[in-house]
Amino acid sequence: MLTRKAAVALAYTGFVRYLVGPMTHVPKTKQNIAATLRRTIRGIEEAGAPDDKARLPLGVSRIDRALPGGGLRLGCIHEVAGDEAATGFCAALLARAVANGRRRGGARAGRTGALAGRTGARAAGTGAQAGRGGLRSGDRQGALLWLAQGDDLYAPGLVRFGIEAGQLLVVSRLRRRDDMLWAMEEALRCRAVRGVVAEAGEVGLAAGRRLMLAAEGTGVLGLVLSRRDGRRRGGKEVRGGAEVRAAVSRWRVTAAPGGPPIPDGRQSPEADGTRWRVELLHCRGGRPAEWDRICFASRDVQ
Amino acid sequence: MSNKRTAPAPPGAPALTGPRLARRILAAWLPWWPTERLARRRPEARTLPFVTVAESRNRLIIDAANPLATRAGLTSGMPLADARAVVPDVVVQPADPTGDALALESLARWADRFTPRVMPDARDTIFLDIAGCTRLFGGEEALTLSLRAALENFGLTVRLALADTPGAAWALAHYGDEDPAVVATGTGPSGLSDALARLPVAALRLSADVVDALVSFGLDRISALSVLEPIELIRRFGMEPVRRLQQALGQVDEPIIPLRPPPPREAQRAFAEPISRPADIRAALDGLLDDLCLSLSRTGEGARRLQLVCHRTDGDRRTLTIGTSRPLRRKKPLMGLFAEKLDRVEPGFGIDEIVLATDVVETIDELQTDWSGEAVGGRHTADEEELADLLDRLGNRFGFGRIGRPVPQQSWLPERAAPHRPPLAGPEVRHGVSPAAARPAVATDWPEDRRRPLRLLSPPEPIEVVTLESGGPLPRFRRQGRLHRLRAVEGPERLECEWWREEAPRRDYYLVEDEMGCRYWLFREGACDSAGTGDPGHGQPVTAPRWFLHGLFG
Repeated sequence: MLTRKAAVALAYTGFVRYLVGPMTHVPKTKQNIAATLRRTIRGIEEAGAPDDKARLPLGVSRIDRALPGGGLRLGCIHEVAGDEAATGFCAALLARAVANGRRRGGARAGRTGALAGRTGARAAGTGAQAGRGGLRSGDRQGALLWLAQGDDLYAPGLVRFGIEAGQLLVVSRLRRRDDMLWAMEEALRCRAVRGVVAEAGEVGLAAGRRLMLAAEGTGVLGLVLSRRDGRRRGGKEVRGGAEVRAAVSRWRVTAAPGGPPIPDGRQSPEADGTRWRVELLHCRGGRPAEWDRICFASRDVQ
Repeated sequence: MSNKRTAPAPPGAPALTGPRLARRILAAWLPWWPTERLARRRPEARTLPFVTVAESRNRLIIDAANPLATRAGLTSGMPLADARAVVPDVVVQPADPTGDALALESLARWADRFTPRVMPDARDTIFLDIAGCTRLFGGEEALTLSLRAALENFGLTVRLALADTPGAAWALAHYGDEDPAVVATGTGPSGLSDALARLPVAALRLSADVVDALVSFGLDRISALSVLEPIELIRRFGMEPVRRLQQALGQVDEPIIPLRPPPPREAQRAFAEPISRPADIRAALDGLLDDLCLSLSRTGEGARRLQLVCHRTDGDRRTLTIGTSRPLRRKKPLMGLFAEKLDRVEPGFGIDEIVLATDVVETIDELQTDWSGEAVGGRHTADEEELADLLDRLGNRFGFGRIGRPVPQQSWLPERAAPHRPPLAGPEVRHGVSPAAARPAVATDWPEDRRRPLRLLSPPEPIEVVTLESGGPLPRFRRQGRLHRLRAVEGPERLECEWWREEAPRRDYYLVEDEMGCRYWLFREGACDSAGTGDPGHGQPVTAPRWFLHGLFG
């Protein structure tokens, strides 16, 4: 515990060093300083993260480039708002979380296999085999949990976002907010779970902190889905972005028209795939951004 | 050891020991047990000829017949085809010897209200040693009457006999003239011998070939056996007739082996001083769980539902019930499930007694564990356990009915295609089996070529479709007072109703996109012969089509 006086003194020293640093030490370029600072800040922000590399790439390079570390941080919670597109977005993220876990499991098995190999020449082959074996036998999916407010979630529709049949566990009709948050916290504490979606609306600071603490220990991906239509109407932001939240990132995902309108209505809506407008409203360590015409359906990615 | 009343052993007989204590054996013979037992579930089997059949050498052979069938000439051992020729409307059910035996055992357990020493014997007899218990029922006769009344109340025919030895009681129940046949107590072998004298030798519970051999020598009554020297009988017919005769006469002990009481599935603590602090209740529960888990582990079972009843000093009681998604007998997760609810126990002025009982138990597949008690088999098992614990916690708070795993079902109707199954049902919970190996249980997938929505409205929401322009079938629709202009349409996808379930109109589904980019799943219900392509029809709609919004796409 730093006393207040000591903290002030430290901050002052740091500030002075920052001011005089460039003069007394090896001169640094602006970029270098900015990069160092950014690293330091990220280090401070992400203190306590279980695994600094636990990132979940979204698989869409445009978005991944904008996210610090190249993906969503695992072991914390993210807020997603929007219409049904947001539901699809959450489903896609869950599916990626499973695929990610599988890949990591396979890599781990591969490493062990390599260690077990006696001769250096054969080690690589053994390792590769064990890696494949790990993918198959270590098919430890981890459960996916969807905490739903109603009972209108329709699993066949989730398939095209990569969630296989029978993979998802749904807890339906959680109408009370307390129940929802409690269930989410329990799920985030469970190592056997890979990802949780809670249709909890917006989560305040205190509740969000609790969820963050729960997720930190396990590395579970927690998504808070707000089904309120976050669409801009009449040029006015429906939700203000100023209030403090615990979530590491906040997204708004809405449907976007698939292409130029065709007067006679003959065009198929699926002609060019499902397109969303994805907005990153807030991201710790990153900048808000928005992308149009993003496609997340599994068949169109990669 | 030897009783004074016992006659000296005849020479040549094996070493004999008399009965240790005076016994009073009530034999209850249920002559129509297999059929009457099954007829309790089938009312028509009580009023019609009814037989049970077993397969033997590729034929169906009658195993047991009820009184009506017997009177019609159907006997055990007759081929079913012959029986059908005699009685065309005979009711037939497969024989179930195991079920008969189990039911007889549970009937014997029920009968322990008369005496703790009850033993089911063979297929259809129960022995009750009622020595010392008659006072509670007002005498032997009253006890016999109340047993008969209770059994007849169950719809069972019963013949009763009361004697000092099981053998004599059995013989009199099966072959005696009176019902109930009673041999006065304390008569000794000579009295029993008199009572049994006129009965056929089959009354001695001999095997069929021995009975045949005895009868072929003209020894058809028990009296004929008792005048012969035992050594002669042993020489010609083996030990069996002599042993059975001596058992029936009480010269050789034949024990009644009472059914063992089922292992306790409850634990209780009574307190000298009432407790009320949460910590005390928790500590008491901790001890109770220890006891219960130990007794469950002896039988290899686990609890599916547990009930904690707290008796308060003011006579009130508080009950907590928890359920688990799989049989469980580990203390920690059970304690965790109770801990969520313990604050609902209002101790009031204090709790006198706590009872923990299991309502529903199931057998647990045993697991190999290593020295630390961890299950061998890697992380699969640990993960499954942890997930099951999570589901238990959720299920106990919200109800297990709300947790489901949507699985594919072969139905084109959207509302039937994804029923929710219990999360851990099926082979996936089997310990030691990896989820990957169990995957084929849900191998079938939803058809991939069909677009299905993310949200399915249930019931479908009626909408108003305004077809103003003639260019397309669905230029716009109105939902909740808001007009959606459509910019793209895909469809129709025609789904017929499942006629084998219910009669319902067919549906034409359209996937539409409005100007904002939102996609909806609409369907038109009602007879419309034009395929919905917008062509002015090959046929006219019989009824005005109704439109519904069924789903929302992402």
